Amino acid sequence: MKKKVISVLVAATMVVSLFTACGSTSKDSAAADKTKTEDTAEASDKEAKDVSDLVIGEIEYAVVEDGGWAQAMHESMLAACKNLGIDTEKNLLTAEEIAEEDPSLIESTIEEMVDNGADIIFGCSTGYGAVLAEMQEEYPDVVFAQYENDIYENVVEFQIRGYEGEFLAGYLSALMNTESNQFGFCASMDEASVRTALNSYALGAKYGNPDATVQVLWADSWYDLDVEGQNAKTLIDNGIKYMGMEASSPAVPQTCEQNGAFCIGYNINMQPSAPKAVLTSFTWNFAPIFEEIMQQTADGTIKIDTDYYEGGDCAKLADFNADLVPADVQAKVNELKDKIASGEVSVYAGELKDDQGNVLVEEGQVMSDEDILAQDFFVSNVTGGKK
Amino acid sequence: MTLIISLLSGALVYAVSVMYAGIGETFSERAGIMNLGVEGIMLMGAVTGYMTAVSTQNLALAFLVVLFTGAVLGLVFAFLTVTLQSDQTVCGMAMLTFGTGLSGFLGKNVAGVAANLKFENIAIPFLSDIPVIGPILFQQNLLVYAMYFIVPIAMFYIYRTRYGLKLRALGENPAVLDAGGENVFAMRYGYIIFGSVMMAISGACVSLGSTNFWSSGMTAGKGWIAFALVAFSSWNPLYLTLGALLFGFISCLGSTLQIYLPNVPTEIYSALPYVATVIAFILATGNFRKKHTAQPESLAVPYDRESR
Repeated sequence: MKKKVISVLVAATMVVSLFTACGSTSKDSAAADKTKTEDTAEASDKEAKDVSDLVIGEIEYAVVEDGGWAQAMHESMLAACKNLGIDTEKNLLTAEEIAEEDPSLIESTIEEMVDNGADIIFGCSTGYGAVLAEMQEEYPDVVFAQYENDIYENVVEFQIRGYEGEFLAGYLSALMNTESNQFGFCASMDEASVRTALNSYALGAKYGNPDATVQVLWADSWYDLDVEGQNAKTLIDNGIKYMGMEASSPAVPQTCEQNGAFCIGYNINMQPSAPKAVLTSFTWNFAPIFEEIMQQTADGTIKIDTDYYEGGDCAKLADFNADLVPADVQAKVNELKDKIASGEVSVYAGELKDDQGNVLVEEGQVMSDEDILAQDFFVSNVTGGKK
Repeated sequence: MTLIISLLSGALVYAVSVMYAGIGETFSERAGIMNLGVEGIMLMGAVTGYMTAVSTQNLALAFLVVLFTGAVLGLVFAFLTVTLQSDQTVCGMAMLTFGTGLSGFLGKNVAGVAANLKFENIAIPFLSDIPVIGPILFQQNLLVYAMYFIVPIAMFYIYRTRYGLKLRALGENPAVLDAGGENVFAMRYGYIIFGSVMMAISGACVSLGSTNFWSSGMTAGKGWIAFALVAFSSWNPLYLTLGALLFGFISCLGSTLQIYLPNVPTEIYSALPYVATVIAFILATGNFRKKHTAQPESLAVPYDRESR
């Protein structure tokens, strides 16, 4: 009997750890090895073909209806295909729940896609890069693209200047919040991409209100409905009425709605989940990048060492909630968006200090892309940043 | 004070969402059947309820569908483990993967779709005006209120009724009941189905209660917490309540402490529930206290008349 119980407990532990492993895969900064390939990145000498005939492979770490990252990616993919006349029923091969730490699964997925005639294979979450780079050598006729920044020379890499959208989100909150200088932020895990979202939200709030401070609360989990909701509730109980978020579920917006507070959704348009609380949402729009990669692949002009790091429409906010955001505020936010696009306003411009008082960027300078991507600081008006 | 209220009411909501499953599992295990598929059944309950809510906008109907889903899954599990006498660990795991996978598949069309229909918080007149206690206990949704009655009824049933006595015997030594002329198989079927229905309601707490949406795998381990709480509570619904409240309280504590003790790394708060679990587990079931635990003697042992 004892043995049986122990074996059950062991089995249970194994399953739990399996799930935790899956759960924590989302956007860890996978320290992928830099593979040095001798491949000179030349334009592939494939013949041009009609773009609507392309077969696209899409590798996702979760199901595409996850209400978060994978869904944002997939919606971008569908939009790009639609614009180029690619039949998504026939020519878009989507593989869901491909664990990033399972190279053999990634490999077999890629092989199957190639067998099905894939012309481009998109790795839609961090962590596929190493395998993609390896497989590119085996299948040089296929274009591999990966969500990553400038690691591999034989893989097209793409990322988005998400900080532009989060900056606008912070600015919007500041315009809406006329009663106090306090703002909130519900964050998931302490990681560069999350810090980016938090810092740019705080800078945006400061741009709209020089006295703005942002209290952050951490869930220390990529997905925990109860803690996310409780964090939002705690912020509200501390008198905070406007908050940003970096979390994958509508728990924060729904908590705001129940308690008369407002927030900016994240990943996808969260307005349907909490129509009385979501002012707008920060969304990832990869469609313009995907379109360009697809078009160039069809034309045979693609360079496989290309790196995309796009802002503008790729990092825009979803449609404003017209019932909550007045037209003049909408206009002001759009105006700032144009200023960022034209280079008149720079999000990480000096003088910029961190929460310890150290100067991050000198007056008159702007932060380099590498530093923006690898944020290991909290800007001065964030309270509750990790030590 | 508002912070204490929000902390305790958060803990209560959390506790209730695992208590349905925990009490269901308690009855199932008291009857000698270990159901490891809690998480899968929860997800199935969550998704079928949410789907019905989206398509019919009828909360009562959605809840009935949740009950029905639980009953069907319970019936399947009972058939496998009681009639076919299959290994309960394997069947439980099958139930888990089946429920997780099927719920994800069924829910594809309602993922990200807003139902805007859930068990709303209802303030009970007069009682909700009591300072502190009112907002915590009496401004909740129906699923929480129902739990106030379920725990005492479950306690009374298990320890104070003839049926409860039989239930306890069922898990300890079913042969005795059989010899006494009781239908062991029918009883086990009944308790498994009841347990499974309760697990499905736990799922509804997540998709139609505190939060109101569906996303694949949204229970995120709550089924396992419920499963662990059963052993933690020595198969006693009252201790289960305390355990669930403790776990909920410590889980929610992190957000408050982050504001008042900003110098402590937040990872410590995240680890607290598990540290507390280990300590409480040792205190509750440690050998130094009792010679033997309250675990039903015939737990996970299929009853076979021929080999009695």
